[in-house]
Amino acid sequence: MKELPELNLPEDVHYSKDHEWARKENGRIRVGIDDYAQDQLGEIVYVELPKPGDVFSTGAEFGTVESVKAVSELFMPMGGSVTAVNTALADSPELVNTSPYADGWMLEIEATDPSEWDALMSRAEYLDRLQTEE
Amino acid sequence: MTPAVQTPLSQWHLQNGAHMGTFGGYAMPLWYPAGARKEHLAVVTTAGLFDTSHMSVITLSGRDTYDLLQYCFSKDLRIVKGTARTPLPTGKCAYGVFLDERGWVIDDAIVYVRQAEEYMVVVNAGMGRVVCDHLKRHQKGGDVRLEDHTNRLAKLDLQGPSSARVLLQALDQPAAVLETFPYFSFKGSLAGGPITNGDVRLTDGTPILLSRTGYTGEFGFEIFVPPEVVENVWRALLKPVGDLTVIPCGLAARDSLRVGAGLPLSHQDIGAWPFQNNPWSFALPYDQDKTAFTKPFLGGDALERPAFHEFTYAFAGFDLRKVETDQSRVEDAGGRDIGTVLTCATDMAIDRHGDRIYSIASPDKPTDFSPKGLCCGFVKVQSPLSTGDIVTLVDRRRRIRVMITDNIRPNRTARKPIPPMG
Repeated sequence: MKELPELNLPEDVHYSKDHEWARKENGRIRVGIDDYAQDQLGEIVYVELPKPGDVFSTGAEFGTVESVKAVSELFMPMGGSVTAVNTALADSPELVNTSPYADGWMLEIEATDPSEWDALMSRAEYLDRLQTEE
Repeated sequence: MTPAVQTPLSQWHLQNGAHMGTFGGYAMPLWYPAGARKEHLAVVTTAGLFDTSHMSVITLSGRDTYDLLQYCFSKDLRIVKGTARTPLPTGKCAYGVFLDERGWVIDDAIVYVRQAEEYMVVVNAGMGRVVCDHLKRHQKGGDVRLEDHTNRLAKLDLQGPSSARVLLQALDQPAAVLETFPYFSFKGSLAGGPITNGDVRLTDGTPILLSRTGYTGEFGFEIFVPPEVVENVWRALLKPVGDLTVIPCGLAARDSLRVGAGLPLSHQDIGAWPFQNNPWSFALPYDQDKTAFTKPFLGGDALERPAFHEFTYAFAGFDLRKVETDQSRVEDAGGRDIGTVLTCATDMAIDRHGDRIYSIASPDKPTDFSPKGLCCGFVKVQSPLSTGDIVTLVDRRRRIRVMITDNIRPNRTARKPIPPMG
């Protein structure tokens, strides 16, 4: 289990209370789960993702990640319509563990309200929140 | 909430990056940095080491011990010899359950014959006191001294087909120890107690009790030592043997391995309902025709008057997806709700190919076989099913088709003889 200082929490993404991250990329938003979530879940063996075109509101369940231990829901950090999903996860779900912010990304969305990104937590705010949760 | 009990290896687990969780009131490693999948595969193909010090050991001695255990334990503690039945010899052990008058399960256990009038019983985490009290209630003034060693003994499980190679390096005079060592037998001494079938020591002289048992379905050993020495024993067993690396394994892998081996978890797959209509009738003292019990025992009468209309079966799915057991139901082919899911886990060493399940250890596995894993477990249903029947497991988000089966992970190695030592 990683201690808080060991967590990889990059500055270029914002974080949700459900441990998803969102990053602005070429006018779209990329979404995945963060290092804290992947460490807590353990080895990811299956990822269930929506189809491009599906529309979700903020906080809605968009899929599941299955670890050896349990099946966990994935929640939208921002509302929007899915423009792409990471198809590599079908064969290599472990990318979520090994590269949660890059190769292990999950969705690309067209945000309904791009300003929602600013309402998500910065690295510092997220770390504070994790500290109080512990 | 009472804080979780630490095992003597808790510090080692934390220092080595274990992901910890609470099980049976104990802080236990769920997996190490290698991950539960690698740990599971290591035990199926090479070897892994588990800290199982959360389990409880009870010792019993005295003139009436045999009679008490023969009455309270489900397995017949006699073996057929010619036309007669004689008590299980020293150095042998047996798996069974302790039942109450209703035939409900108090706990499952292994009973070890250490020498005449000296027995050892291994039960689950937190059950030492409960089983001791149960046995005392039925002692009826007989000459039996019971001692609960909960938290005063440590236990390690070395499991996997390469386990004997590990012992070859770790034991003093390994050839003599391993030469004759059948499944469900044991040797050595429990924390300075009587020596059963010869002394067993590590190369540094530490005496151990070594048992050819385990709960993974794979070849292996359980090792009992005093808590003061367990860390040294643990480190000695983790030393690489040539190109063989033994990895520490957590409870997640232990759970997925035992499910794939078709073994029940006490208080989950067996528990507060009659121990019948399930895949584990081998724990009952049936005669050869499987029509009658070979001895009277506590709970046996209730099981011989079958009024229980629930049936427990093993199942295997068609991919690795699981359902959540606490909220899930079982539907038959007609869509009727017929019961509940007791256990649902993923055996990562197996997959389907054609109409068969293969394991990564199957000698006849297809070329380029790379298993993704299959969900598997046990269901308890109100109507009888047959092997090959398809049912659907339903939780709040998924519907998963699974097949009722009598064998989940094929080609298991638990019963394999010890390979010749050269």
